[in-house]
Amino acid sequence: MTSSVVTSGLTKRFGQRLAVNAVDIDLPAGVVSGFVGPNGAGKTTTIQLLLGLCRPTAGSAEVLGRPISDPASYLGRVGALIEAPSFYPTLSGRRNLEVLTRLGRIDSGRVSEVLAMVELSDRGGDLVRAYSLGMKQRLGVAAALLPDPELCILDEPTNGLDPAGIREMRSVIRGLADRGISVFVSSHLLAEIEAICDHLVMIDNGRIVFQGGVDKLIDAQQSDIVATPEHPADLQALAELCVAAGKPARVEQGEVHVQAAEDWAPELNRAAMAAGITLRGLTVRRASLEEAFFAITEAERDGTEQDA
Amino acid sequence: MLGAYSSEWVKLRRRAMLLWGLGGGLFFAVLATVFTVERAVRTAPLFPLRRGRVTFAELELPTGLVHGVVDVSTLIGIVSLCLFAGAFATEYSQGTMRNLLVREPRRAQLLTGKFLALATFIGVAVVLEIVVSCAVALLLAPGRGITTSAWTSSTGINDLLQATLHVFLASVGYGLVGAAAGVLFRSPGVAIGASVAYVIPVEAIIVGAIWSNGDRWLPGQLLSALAHGGSGDSSYHHSLITLAVYMVLIAAATLAVFKRRDA
Repeated sequence: MTSSVVTSGLTKRFGQRLAVNAVDIDLPAGVVSGFVGPNGAGKTTTIQLLLGLCRPTAGSAEVLGRPISDPASYLGRVGALIEAPSFYPTLSGRRNLEVLTRLGRIDSGRVSEVLAMVELSDRGGDLVRAYSLGMKQRLGVAAALLPDPELCILDEPTNGLDPAGIREMRSVIRGLADRGISVFVSSHLLAEIEAICDHLVMIDNGRIVFQGGVDKLIDAQQSDIVATPEHPADLQALAELCVAAGKPARVEQGEVHVQAAEDWAPELNRAAMAAGITLRGLTVRRASLEEAFFAITEAERDGTEQDA
Repeated sequence: MLGAYSSEWVKLRRRAMLLWGLGGGLFFAVLATVFTVERAVRTAPLFPLRRGRVTFAELELPTGLVHGVVDVSTLIGIVSLCLFAGAFATEYSQGTMRNLLVREPRRAQLLTGKFLALATFIGVAVVLEIVVSCAVALLLAPGRGITTSAWTSSTGINDLLQATLHVFLASVGYGLVGAAAGVLFRSPGVAIGASVAYVIPVEAIIVGAIWSNGDRWLPGQLLSALAHGGSGDSSYHHSLITLAVYMVLIAAATLAVFKRRDA
């Protein structure tokens, strides 16, 4: 599979602060890649480096096969929404896009096309200062789509959106991927990324802590088996039964949470029945992306502390 | 560069830009012309308080037609400075500079195209201000008994064209100072405040209290002299050449900052 973005030791320092620390990223082309990490982790700085908006302190990167030292050679094929959508408030949405089409020598007919894609055709003539935040975000995505990009970089596209707006944005992003556009979307909302991404890059304190398929990450995490006895009086006995079988277990809110692989669930069911405990419920709870993220970052920090 | 030039015109056609960019200079030009013609006196005043008034004899010279506009050329220049400083600094303060740099990553071309569009806008504004103020002067002068035949003579037309060129060049010079401040400070308020403060009171204090010969060398003083077609110790050619050196240095420094700094 070809790569849309490849970085090698990409580093950006602002004074004493290391915002991006020797980052190596390899994003497959034609898929939605998520870029997750807490606020201040280095996501926006990395994106700015990829867009030629700031210069790296060290390292190198290629976007669509071209070096970031020559942004003019690839930005014509890249669409971008950077942080909060910024527009001229006293120009209409359509005029704002016209500023960009003229600047980038893009066919002016694209303005109507992209406004239709983000369902802003009927409001394109309104001044941007009258737009809601959700409409501004959609206009930002429209601006990113103007050059009919091969790669679309969206920095926190769902910031400030209500649940309906977030759902719409997900649908827009999936639509881009369906059209074969590589999408690199950053967010600090992990559940949102989990819902739309095929590939994932995790960053924390300027360092990449994971990259790969979303399934690969979640599969790598320990799942929980959650068992609910018919009688609450059996909770403790059920937990002790698991511990005796070598599986750590804890009682939590009327349930027994067992740290074990999914295929141990039938074994647990048999063991409970043999002990005279009837189960009302037996489910496997897979780790969420959020739990996976915290597990990885905590492991990283423990490792760093041990190294120190 | 053509893309940046064309793109800037979408923004320059905004109502607010037309109102303040064109209207501001036009207001000063018309006001100055009305005051100059209406307050003109037949003989040179003896009382010091009335010495600011122009005489009929001065107004009846071929240069009399644009007397009022040239008198307020510094104010027209300040409008230009504010327009340029605001146009550059606002791109940073409202976050649109990043959008522009993604679509036009060749920073020198973006800066130059934007500057040339603003300079063209100022050129249109200066021509409009002079045309309207000439019309006002030609309407008011006969009523005051001022003879206008020299204004429409070939010498008068030549002086009119020269004055237009001088005011335009000075306005673009003021604009470059504003653009440099806009790129440097990235905040419209700070950029406009700092550059206007330097060009008007700071230079006046330097010349008045520290360096009496400064009016021959300080950029703000030279821009004012250029707009007047030369004044006092600063001849037109001295002003033009010295300012050309200043402007090349300011443009080079602005471009270097714009190209090197993270957006």
